[in-house]
Amino acid sequence: MVRILVFVSIVLFSSHADDAYERNCIKCHEVLPFSLREIFMRYLAAYGGENNVKVGLNHYFKYPAKDISVMSIAFLNHYGIDHHSKINEKELKQAIDIYWQKHKVIGRLK
Amino acid sequence: MLVSKSKGTNSLLASEKKSLYRFLTLYVLMMMSIIVLIALFYYQNQEKMMFLSKRDMLSDYAYEQIKKLKILHNTFPADNAYPRDSRFKSGIYDLEYVKIFSLLESEDIDFTKDMYRTSDNKIHFVKTLFEYYLGAKYLFLEIPDDGDWREETWENIFIFGGLAIVFFTIIGFYIANLFLSPMRSSLLLLDRFIKDTTHELNTPLSTILANIEMIDTSSIGEDNQKKINRINIAAKTVSQLYQDLTYITLEQDIHKNDEKVETKALIENRIEYFDSLAKSKDITFVLDLKKSYIHINRHKWTRVIDNIISNAIKYNNRKGVIYITLKKNTLTISDTGIGIELTKIPFVFDRYIRFNHSEGGFGIGLNIVKKIIEEYDMKIEIKSKPNEGTQVVIRW
Ligand code: HEC
Repeated sequence: MVRILVFVSIVLFSSHADDAYERNCIKCHEVLPFSLREIFMRYLAAYGGENNVKVGLNHYFKYPAKDISVMSIAFLNHYGIDHHSKINEKELKQAIDIYWQKHKVIGRLK
Repeated sequence: MLVSKSKGTNSLLASEKKSLYRFLTLYVLMMMSIIVLIALFYYQNQEKMMFLSKRDMLSDYAYEQIKKLKILHNTFPADNAYPRDSRFKSGIYDLEYVKIFSLLESEDIDFTKDMYRTSDNKIHFVKTLFEYYLGAKYLFLEIPDDGDWREETWENIFIFGGLAIVFFTIIGFYIANLFLSPMRSSLLLLDRFIKDTTHELNTPLSTILANIEMIDTSSIGEDNQKKINRINIAAKTVSQLYQDLTYITLEQDIHKNDEKVETKALIENRIEYFDSLAKSKDITFVLDLKKSYIHINRHKWTRVIDNIISNAIKYNNRKGVIYITLKKNTLTISDTGIGIELTKIPFVFDRYIRFNHSEGGFGIGLNIVKKIIEEYDMKIEIKSKPNEGTQVVIRW
């Protein structure tokens, strides 16, 4: 928990904080009960490899649907689904790349 | 008698050998491929059995490992220690075949099989995950291959393979014998027939030759003289044949009685003997003879020279020439006759082989020559060109 806090504060206050991911994703997701990391792990478990995860995210953001979401129906009913379509294409792509980079497992196990 | 019979037929003829070799190579190749095939099948089967015996155990290990991966998936990255197990090594790969984490010692990774033996003697068990914990689709488990089964398998292959080879070899010899026996029995029959007939030829033949010698040619007309000459030639030809036949059936095992023989005088004597025969075909002899001594059985040496000269006459053209050159250790006899095809030369020494059926004979002359030549460790060489002539060289 401590490590996550430190990590988050570094991300928040560092000079590099201002990337596509920071700009578009963090603020909105901060208030949700599931962290972006938790959601990422769900994506990873469902989609496996790097390309597959990225394509999966991209597809969901463009064509959100309850039956392909990794979140629970109750959650989706409460929050709705179409939250990502306003982010422009280029920003979205960059944000997804950063999202993967931040949470990927490859190279992090010991 | 029995001894000479079996001796004459036991040695293989060149034509017999050729077909025997063909049969043997075919047989050996077939036998080997069958044994190798069976061994391969057996080996693979043993490997499968070994896999089967380890599969259940590895399956259990994989189940446990996946459970641990699931826990790690939910606590990552707070906890990032990959679960280890002392009973096996493991590694995880994602569905794009990218390595996520691996403790495997073998680099030999195969995504298409569910269990296999690596090149460095490890056993890999592959389990696919339905939920990709930590992004892993493929879980590889690795245990060392103890090799006991392989040792045992090889041992069995050698023992049973060896037994099979012995067994098939015995069968092979049996078949080869069956294969040759018709050839042999026909040779044997011919031998026996010849032996019986020659025996009856001796007396009448000697009578004819002796009486021709005794005829006073001066008292009869020229016309009758010619006829008598023809009878003489015919009788001599038969006599030659008789000599060969008795040699092959009766005398070939009489050894030694070797003496110092002067070949020049012997050749001159034989040419005189063949003179009337040669004249009948207008054949001339061109001689270049040096004195030469050899330690040999005189009768056998005469058979050699007689047979070569009589072939040179028999297969020569009308008005042909026969060149005979005698040096210290070589005798060369060449003719200007019909010659022999190159492919047939290896078989000229086989018994009962005749290439030209227009000439008489049993085809035993050169067979006798060869036997005698071999007995005295001499060398014989035949060079020939069809329609140009044949050259026989004997060295000692
Ligand atoms: C406008 C607010 C908002 C923004 C901006 C936003 N999200 Fe979301 N996101 C949500 C909400 C609400 C949900 C839950 C509903 C859903 O799953 O669709 C969600 C769901 C997700 C999910 C789960 C998708 C699924 O399968 O259900 C992912 C992954 C995600 N967001 C990633 C991102 C990333 C990456 C960004 C930045 C590019 C981002 N979000 C920007 C509000 C936002």
